[in-house]
Amino acid sequence: MPTLTIDNRTVTVAEGASVLDAAVELGIVVPHYCYHQALGAVGACRQCAVTILEGSQKGLKMSCLVTAEDGMQVSTCDEESRSFRAQVGEWLMTNHPHDCPVCDEGGECQLQEMTIGSGHGIRRYRGNKRTHTNQDLGPFITQEMNRCIQCYRCVRAYKDYCGGEDFGVMGSRQRVFFGRFKEGPLESDFSGNLIDFCPTGVFTDKTSRFKTRYWDLQQAPSICPHCSLGCATLPGGRYQQLQRVRSGSNRLTNDSFICDRARFGSDWANHPQRPREARIDGEKAEFSVVLSQLEERLQSLVDTYGGETLRLLGSPRASFEANLLLKKLAVRFGAPTPCYDAHPRRAFAARAAGSIPSGQLASLQQLRASDLVLVAGVDPLAEAPVLALALRQVVRAGGRVVVLDPRPVELPCEFEHHSLTQEALLRGLSAPEENELLESLRQQLEAAHHPVLVGGGDLLGGAGLLLLRRFSESCCGDSDCLIFPVLHGPNSYGGGLLEEPGERQRDLLEDLENGKVRALICLEADPAIEHPDPGRMQLALARLDLLAVFDHLPTHSVAAANIFLPTRTLFECGGTYVNNEGRMQAFAPVIEPGIPLEVSGGGGHPLRQFDSGVPGSAPHSAIHLLQQLLKDRQDLFGLRRQIVEEIPCLRDLDRLEAGDSGRRMADCGESLEESRLEIWAQEGELRLLPVMARYGGDQYSRLSQPLASRLQQPCLWIHPLEAAERGFGEGQRVVLRTAVGHFRLSLSCKEKMVRGRVMLPCLPGTPLEVFTPGGLSIPCQLYAEDDNA
Amino acid sequence: MICLGNFSAEIEIMKKLLLKKQIDAFRRKVAKTEHPRELVIDLLREIQDRNGWVSDEGVELAAQILGVTPIEVEEVATFYDKIYRQPVGRYPIHICDSICCWSRGGEEIANHLQQQLEIKLGETTTDGLFTLLPTCCLGGCGRAPSMMIGRRFYGNLSLAELDRIIEQLREEAKG
Ligand code: SF4
Ligand code: SF4
Ligand code: FES
Ligand code: FES
Repeated sequence: MPTLTIDNRTVTVAEGASVLDAAVELGIVVPHYCYHQALGAVGACRQCAVTILEGSQKGLKMSCLVTAEDGMQVSTCDEESRSFRAQVGEWLMTNHPHDCPVCDEGGECQLQEMTIGSGHGIRRYRGNKRTHTNQDLGPFITQEMNRCIQCYRCVRAYKDYCGGEDFGVMGSRQRVFFGRFKEGPLESDFSGNLIDFCPTGVFTDKTSRFKTRYWDLQQAPSICPHCSLGCATLPGGRYQQLQRVRSGSNRLTNDSFICDRARFGSDWANHPQRPREARIDGEKAEFSVVLSQLEERLQSLVDTYGGETLRLLGSPRASFEANLLLKKLAVRFGAPTPCYDAHPRRAFAARAAGSIPSGQLASLQQLRASDLVLVAGVDPLAEAPVLALALRQVVRAGGRVVVLDPRPVELPCEFEHHSLTQEALLRGLSAPEENELLESLRQQLEAAHHPVLVGGGDLLGGAGLLLLRRFSESCCGDSDCLIFPVLHGPNSYGGGLLEEPGERQRDLLEDLENGKVRALICLEADPAIEHPDPGRMQLALARLDLLAVFDHLPTHSVAAANIFLPTRTLFECGGTYVNNEGRMQAFAPVIEPGIPLEVSGGGGHPLRQFDSGVPGSAPHSAIHLLQQLLKDRQDLFGLRRQIVEEIPCLRDLDRLEAGDSGRRMADCGESLEESRLEIWAQEGELRLLPVMARYGGDQYSRLSQPLASRLQQPCLWIHPLEAAERGFGEGQRVVLRTAVGHFRLSLSCKEKMVRGRVMLPCLPGTPLEVFTPGGLSIPCQLYAEDDNA
Repeated sequence: MICLGNFSAEIEIMKKLLLKKQIDAFRRKVAKTEHPRELVIDLLREIQDRNGWVSDEGVELAAQILGVTPIEVEEVATFYDKIYRQPVGRYPIHICDSICCWSRGGEEIANHLQQQLEIKLGETTTDGLFTLLPTCCLGGCGRAPSMMIGRRFYGNLSLAELDRIIEQLREEAKG
């Protein structure tokens, strides 16, 4: 750990850190552009010059390229390096247009800040500036190439780090151009990172263009709710509208990258159909009236029929605190412990992940540093996109990635894919020593320096995750083989911890169907489509005396509710999510609840109606709502402190702050025994596996307008040989027959998928929503559309 | 990519850009090369020799033969100013504008050519014979001022010499 002196101030930095890193540590601003923590240094912009007074190389140097040494003396204030930086600043600005007043980057522009930081002010250059013709890069990103300073951060982020193949740098000298070969939408699933990485206004967010100036923007650190990884985000908005999402920075998880689903998929919070008013039997009512009605009805129900007749359902969408309060509500009314996922197999997978000791779980940071990753039953781009980026970093550093999965998995890097059915994968894991492939992989993992196993809760289920854990233990050589479970929601893991310990997989539907249950409370959950058998579930819900729903999405269950209470979204309240590796991460409120001005004003002048409140601002946070039912008056901090006292393994919860890197949960001590594998008869020669769609597979994406062009269209995947055997080809219209009905779809041939299966990307909000991923394959039949007519 | 299903149209375009035997020869080379992208300049030159320049389709064809993406070919194609991504005259003239040639009358050469051909730098004569392009050092500083026409280098230029060369090329074009 070298200790060096910069401008007479001393600092000790990590081995290998650069002089620029050391300056940053001291809070000394050395202007720089091409260097980025996640991309490393290339020395392209020449802006970061400093003078090294003592050290193995002396004189004017680029601070991003010089490694900090013990005893080094550095100056940033001397005349030589100061005037050098000012000259570089002036030179970089010769071609830059003077268009800050109309540039969306203005106010949060690294070029603005660091040009001033470089000491350059008055431009002397009077010649013509070079100009470019911009490209249309699709619905997400606007390009304004004239603003480019040739730092190359965009290509390094898009191509090198994220593996995008349709973006590059063209031309030479003054003519350098960063873009696509031809105009058209950027293809990478991580294209939005261009916005964060370009230090100038070349690439800006088209979806929030000209909406809000940076200094008027309300921003707060948050956590992405679109999958279980819990990437750090920085959402921003104004006038009750969520306008954009940027990547936060958490080296332990997503580093500085997020996926496009997260970046362009937050518009659901502004959805015009978002339910914002409390209702009793469909009629709008005062929030407080509805709340007391609910309380009364629950009390009288429990008094008359007993607490056993009440059920509660939490969800992976709701915050950990809200889910925990729901459990207290169950206690208050003498009801059984809530379920935390309407999908019993998914709930069990979350519990299984939670039972893995914290020391055996990998973080994304550890995964990036692995040299051999075995991915069992995960399609990263669909289920946990930033995992795909982490896998790419493994391969870039010379490591290997092996994927065992029935789906036609794609990754932005080279990898080995073994396509085998879900059943074969589970059987293999149950007796890996008898399976040639797994046995050979086991030996390779054992020999690896930092092996990691990635396991998909949806495909493997809880039983499969437990088998994976056993397998990982047999793979530990000199170093431990860590596990990276992938679950399906931002708080699946947290929900799993709250489930009733000891019990086997529970199915809410069985309880509802046996007729003893009279009331159900759903916390930000939509059992009507989240349960694997939505038809039966919907019937069961309709038979209840009381269905109470707290939510902020326009769901089926909201429409069916007798009592509805609107809740705030994560952008409007504070809370905590526990991600797939047991990391508790806090999010902070960004905007106030209420109908966005853009919606209420219809794009024109806001309503000319005078009132003391903001229209549509009724929602309370789910936490607050439950606290009211529990007569609990603590603030969020007090609540967290109380939770910590009650559940010691959550001991760091009250130390969380939004924007920090989160804290790993300690072991909570539930040990799940390996359960019997779900064995099922392989009836029928062709079986259907519902799978997660890359875009539109979650409830949020389908309600987010900017993602519309990327949403998966309904189709059925089939292996081309399987199709040919039936006389079908690509695009063929077919009828898919299953126990839940028949569906007209077109076939999409996927060479890399397993044979003997067809797969359906699930799409909530379409007729296909009766299928939910996370289960086992089901029997089905295929007919050509006209045969069936 | 041009291989979007319409197979016969694709073959037509390919035939225009390169002869089948040229394409086959390149495909054989690619199969034997560890990093096929090393061949990108050779391939672009071949396309240029046959067509006078490299069109978008030419870039796409090269990408297809080499098994890389079109942008990867384009990055190289646009880096080198001797690969023409726009149609040029039959004799593209690259006039050196770097320091040695400049100190020995390079500007005069450039002005003279512009006057004689009645075009500005970057333009092509109406008869389609000449295109004037400035270039950086041609590596012939010892024989400055210099220029390059097609792939041929001319050094120690004088105005009289220039007129003679232009005349000679005009004759050649007639014959
Ligand atoms: S487009 Fe932006 S990131 Fe890319 S080189 Fe130019 S200034 Fe740098
Ligand atoms: S990978 Fe998951 S958590 Fe991370 S940004 Fe994408 S959807 Fe959000
Ligand atoms: S940041 Fe050091 S040269 Fe660009
Ligand atoms: S300067 Fe003209 S050839 Fe070198």
